[in-house]
Parts: sequence; structure tokens; C-alpha cells
Amino acid sequence: MSLFGTTSGFGTSGTSMFGSTTTDNHNPMKDIEVTSSPDDSIGCLSFSPPTLPGNFLIAGSWANDVRCWEVQDSGQTIPKAQQMHTGPVLDVCWSDDGSKVFTASCDKTAKMWDLSSNQAIQIAQHDAPVKTIHWIKAPNYSCVMTGSWDKTLKFWDTRSSNPMMVLQLPERCYCADVIYPMAVVATAERGLIVYQLENQPSEFRRIESPLKHQHRCVAIFKDKQNKPTGFALGSIEGRVAIHYINPPNPAKDNFTFKCHRSNGTNTSAPQDIYAVNGIAFHPVHGTLATVGSDGRFSFWDKDARTKLKTSEQLDQPISACCFNHNGNIFAYASSYDWSKGHEFYNPQKKNYIFLRNAAEELKPRNKK
Amino acid sequence: MAICQFFLQGRCRFGDRCWNEHPGARGAGGGRQQPQQQLSGNNRRGWNTTSQRYSNVIQPSSFSKSAPWGGSRDQEKPSFGSFDSGASTNRNEGFGLPENPFASLSPEEQKDEKKLLEGIVKDMEVWESSGQWIFSVYSPVKKKPNISGFTDISPEELRLEYHNFLTSNNLQSYVNSVQRLINQWRNRVNELKSLNISTKVALCLTYCFFIYGPNCSKFIYLLNQAAPAFGFGSSQAATFVSPGFPVNNSSNDNAQNFSFKTNSGFATASSGSPAVLGSSPAFGAAASVSSAISTSAPAFGFGKPEITSAASFSFKSPADSSFGSPGFSGLTTSLATGPISAPVAPAFGGGSSVAGSGSPGSHSHTAFSKPSNDTFGNSSISTSFSAPSSIIATDNVLFTPRDKLTVQELEQFQSKKFTLGK
Repeated sequence: MSLFGTTSGFGTSGTSMFGSTTTDNHNPMKDIEVTSSPDDSIGCLSFSPPTLPGNFLIAGSWANDVRCWEVQDSGQTIPKAQQMHTGPVLDVCWSDDGSKVFTASCDKTAKMWDLSSNQAIQIAQHDAPVKTIHWIKAPNYSCVMTGSWDKTLKFWDTRSSNPMMVLQLPERCYCADVIYPMAVVATAERGLIVYQLENQPSEFRRIESPLKHQHRCVAIFKDKQNKPTGFALGSIEGRVAIHYINPPNPAKDNFTFKCHRSNGTNTSAPQDIYAVNGIAFHPVHGTLATVGSDGRFSFWDKDARTKLKTSEQLDQPISACCFNHNGNIFAYASSYDWSKGHEFYNPQKKNYIFLRNAAEELKPRNKK
Repeated sequence: MAICQFFLQGRCRFGDRCWNEHPGARGAGGGRQQPQQQLSGNNRRGWNTTSQRYSNVIQPSSFSKSAPWGGSRDQEKPSFGSFDSGASTNRNEGFGLPENPFASLSPEEQKDEKKLLEGIVKDMEVWESSGQWIFSVYSPVKKKPNISGFTDISPEELRLEYHNFLTSNNLQSYVNSVQRLINQWRNRVNELKSLNISTKVALCLTYCFFIYGPNCSKFIYLLNQAAPAFGFGSSQAATFVSPGFPVNNSSNDNAQNFSFKTNSGFATASSGSPAVLGSSPAFGAAASVSSAISTSAPAFGFGKPEITSAASFSFKSPADSSFGSPGFSGLTTSLATGPISAPVAPAFGGGSSVAGSGSPGSHSHTAFSKPSNDTFGNSSISTSFSAPSSIIATDNVLFTPRDKLTVQELEQFQSKKFTLGK
């Protein structure tokens, strides 16, 4: 089953054959490894939308490349195609029809990759690395939203080299998420802005950060009617804030929880605190997954306010994660996220993307 | 009307002259939960009519203390108190500077400040011991602005710098720069942990401002107490705060009306510390923000206009700097010379005279006005609070009184939008 060309026979699903290499902790959860994983840290992962039959995974890495795999139901991963930027790729996203992939890079550009023709053209330009890219599909317009460290949020019609709209951000864009008609952007200096996208994108509200440290990742969640209603914000301090946009009772409905810390509940000993590198919501259950610099991922139920599961510790930080369109597959990338600076960077260390069956583990806890 | 806290404690000095309500049997929390709009209405009324009332009496104003905010920080904080409508503008009583500027506060208020400071110390200790990412901003209270002196750098930005230096074969300067940043961080953390009196005053001026509100007489009082020690003119202190900002410091619940509370509160805070306004352009930006606010829409229903005027976090805009090796060393030197350079160690307590005078500010502004590739420089200039603590921390006279500001600077501070260095 394994398509790996490597000599060490890694197990794939379930039946692991790690055997003698007891110290090798790169896949303690025995999840499926994606073949031909990128050569440098993986910064972003994205699964194809439901409009595309099957599952296709895109990953952008610090090796300046974007790779595409087909993920079959058997767990087999087939490398399909690759594109290059001239700088590390920081974010990727799909168009709603699954025909194009948008990639944002440190080379200050964003590109549109047509998968059928395997051509990529530049569609966006910024004055600084582009940190986030999202596709917006509104009833009366479609565009690409790019957030950059040049403190602007630009909206691009892919056919024109001029942005449709430029919105100023208070600070460098660190992370963003879009679920129409809502977009959230978290910036440096703990800035947090919500945009509404109907008719045209406009700033809806600036929110004071519920967290005390640098914002790292953000993900929007939906309510029972499938409308975006709030977001989860992760910081470098091992904490995630759940924030509703218009809750009936903000003091009670909004809350934060600690995660990705060592020493669990033992509060007397000094904890190690790790950054939350990514948050993803299960598209069906509404539960969320967080991945951290500690090399673990955790599943949470925000309504029951409980933790569902925490993984074993991987030997590298987990730098990105995402769910596929029906929530059956949870993909997470194990690679160095620079959380400890350049001294801990080992260019020789292999970077992995793991796939896990997520249908069961993310079922919400039944509320009493 | 707001409930008079001192009456509830049995020690209101004004008796039936008091502006606040002396309820018969109503509890302490009564005033607090009112809808903020109503409250601000009170404030505004109170502001306009209050000036003649308080003459020579220092009245510790009556705030209701909300739930202990220093404690469980994970909770959503309720809105900070009902602001006393009777806040004074004229706190010129010369008490001299007491040994402990906080001694004149009531025990409750002292406790709040103590909690704030203890919280900060604890957070610093945790930060140091936890191994978490150090290039991050920090705020001691959720939803409140950042403490100065910390730069916000994401791991990706740092890594990109590494890659850039690697390609230019200049890894050593990258390592040096990182080391410098680490040292700055460490110094700042130690400063916050040690909490000498000047840091304390600076912190409390900024954060207690949020507790007590823009019209708080306590704040002005404290400022005036602190002022002589730091060479401020107390009259100036009063003047700056007096333009009764109709700023609604309501909680997030009413954020609908009131989008960018932080910034407005921010602005009012900065206006409350006139000293620093004089010296730091970044701070001046805050001043311009505040003037923008006071000239804009009335308290509630700020909505969009406030966003666009105040909220461009514009304190940071002048200070862009690229990271490239020449740029970086240029950055640190200009950081050292600029009053904005909060994280640079000399700015604190090192008696670095540059921090004081108003003029270098403009120089350092233009020194890094490159709009692109902002990394460290920008964020270090960032929080407008950087000015107060750095400046108050040194012992020199650090702010330029109004009359000594250059015409250009004065114009900047008074204009709607800070344009110097953009």
C-alpha cells in the first residue's frame, strides 16, 4: 500500500511496523503519511471543496513550492502536480468550483493555479509578503482576498491586475478566515477586525482582543443554521478564544481556554506554553481541532466546553491543519514552525503531512 | 445618576452637596449594570456642568468597582464601572508628591492597582519560564491595549528574515539582531517585574485609566501627584484631560454602536498623560487621534466615523523599517535615538536624554519611513504607551511643555491626523 520510495518501511493506516525504532516519534498516532511531502516546513494545507469529486490536498511550503495530491478513500495519496513561487508559500485556498488553487507567497505575489492546464498566473501584488488568501463567492461578485504584512487587505478580480478594493489594516495581517458573508482578520498588535462581505466587503467591527498575546490563527464557526456566527482565535500563548459576534450574553458566551501546554492541570509547576498554530472546524459536527508547537493536536467541543481528545506528542511542531469537505479526513503537517528560533532548525529533518480519519473522533460530546 | 460609592462606604465628603446619588438602601452594584448609553449621557451632563463645582477640594470620585478584574482573567470582564459624572477638571491641589503616589487612593483602589501590578509580574514570570514565543505584544488585561516595550513579530516574519540573511550570506547579523531583540525583551520583562515606582505610575496611569474611565478624577489626581516629580506642569495635566471627551467606554456588549473602543480609550489615555505627548511623535499620533475623537460624533453611535479617524492604529504608521542588514543596523540606531523606541534598553531608566526632548522625535520618524517590509521597527514604535513608560521611567524632564513645541509639532498634535513621517 505504501508508495514511499524510502527505505524505512513506515506503516500507513492502523498496522504500524515501527518495530525497533522506538525513539522515532514522528508518527505516534499512526496516521497515514502523505507521500512525497515537501522538503521544507509546511505552512498551509487545504482540501478541495465538495464541488470536486474525491479529495485533493494542497500544501504550501517554505521550499517555495505548492504541491497537490489526490487522496483516495483507501488512504492512498498520489502526488499530482506542483507549482513554484519565488518565495515561501504562506497560504493556499481553493476556488469554490474546485478548478483553481490560489497561493500566497513571501514573494509578495499571489498566483492562481489552474489545475486542469497546470498553469499558474499572478493575480495579486503587495508591498510585503502575502500572508493570507481566501476566495470569496458572493451572489453578486467573486474575488480573491489577500492579506499582507504591508497592512492592507486587497480584493482581486482575477482578470485584472488592479485590485477591486483595498482596505487598510491597522497592522500587519497575521491570519484571516472567510465564510461568506463574514470575514475575520487578526493582525499584529492584537488587532482584530470583522468584515461583512455582502454587496462589497466593508469593515463591520473592530474587536478588542480577548487574548493577551500575539494572534496566531483564526477560524470562523457557524451556527446550527449554517450561518457564520463567531470565530476562534488562537495566540502564541497556548490559548484559544471563542468569540461570538452578537451573542445574547457576551460575558457568558465568549470564553477562552488554555491548550497546548505541558503539565496539564498541575498549575503549581511552571508550564511550557506553546503557540496554537492552526485551528480548524469540523464542517459537519462544528467541533474544532487545534494544532500547536508542542507537536500535538487536540479536538474540542466548544459548546460543551470540553476537550474531546489530545494526541500523542510528535517530535516536531504541527504547523498546519485542515479538514476535508465532509469532515472525514483531518490533515495535519508536522514540520518546524520556527517557534524556537533558528537554532532548532534542521533542514535535513523530514517534514510530514498526516491524514487521520476524523469522522468519529470529532463527534460532539452530548450535553447533559 | 451614578451611585456615590463613598456614601455607601459611609464616608462621602460632600454629604448632600454630593453630585452622585446617595441611595437609601440600594446596593453597590446598582449603578454598574445600567446600559452604558444612559451612563454616558450622565457623564456628558456631568462634565459640562461640573467645572465650577470642584474648587479646592480633592474629591476622590466615586466609581463603582466592577468584579475583580485582576483575578480570573479568563472571564469576560464586565464594563468598567459607572463613571462618575462629577469628575473634576481642576485638580491642582498641591499635595506634593507623596512617597507612594498611590497612598492617597482608597484601599479598594489600591487593591485594584496592586492586582494589576501583581498580575503583570506573574505574567512576566510565566512568560519567562514557559518557553513561549517571546516576540509578542502583551496586555495585562484582556481587551485593553498592549503594554509598551514589546514588539510583535510572528515566527514567519522572523523565519523570512533568516532566509533573506542566509541568501545574502549574512547570517551573523541576523543572529545579532535576534539577540538584540531578545535582550530588549528581557530588559523589558525585568523592568515590569521589578516595578519601580516610575513603572508603576506609568502602568497605572495607562491601565487604571481604563478602569476609572476618561473622566476620572482619580486619574487626574494621580497624574497631578506624579506630575511634579516628573516635571510636568500640573495645570497642563488638567488641561489635557479636561476637554471632556464624550467617549463612551462601554463594554463590548454595546460594541455595535461603538466599534473601536480600545482606540478611543487609548486616545483618551494618551491625552491624559500630557508629558509624553510632548515628546513622542508616536504619542502625538495618539493625541491627534484623541482630538479626532473629541471632534467627531458624540459619545454613542460612533460607528464608522470613529473607526476611520481614530482606528488606523496610526501610531505605528511612521515607523516602517525594512529588515535588511543595513536597514537593520540603521533601525537600531534610530531606535536608540527616538523617544518612541520603547524596547531599547537605554530608553528606560538609562537616562537616555534622547527620549526626552521633543525634537528628535521628528527626526527618528523620518529615519524610518519606508513603507514596505516592516518588521521590528514598526512594532517597536507601536503601542502608544511606549512613550509614557519609557519617558516617565527616565529621570530627565522628558516632555516638552506646550510652549516649547515647535510650531510643526504643535500643529501635528492638534491636527486631526498625524502626518509627520508618513
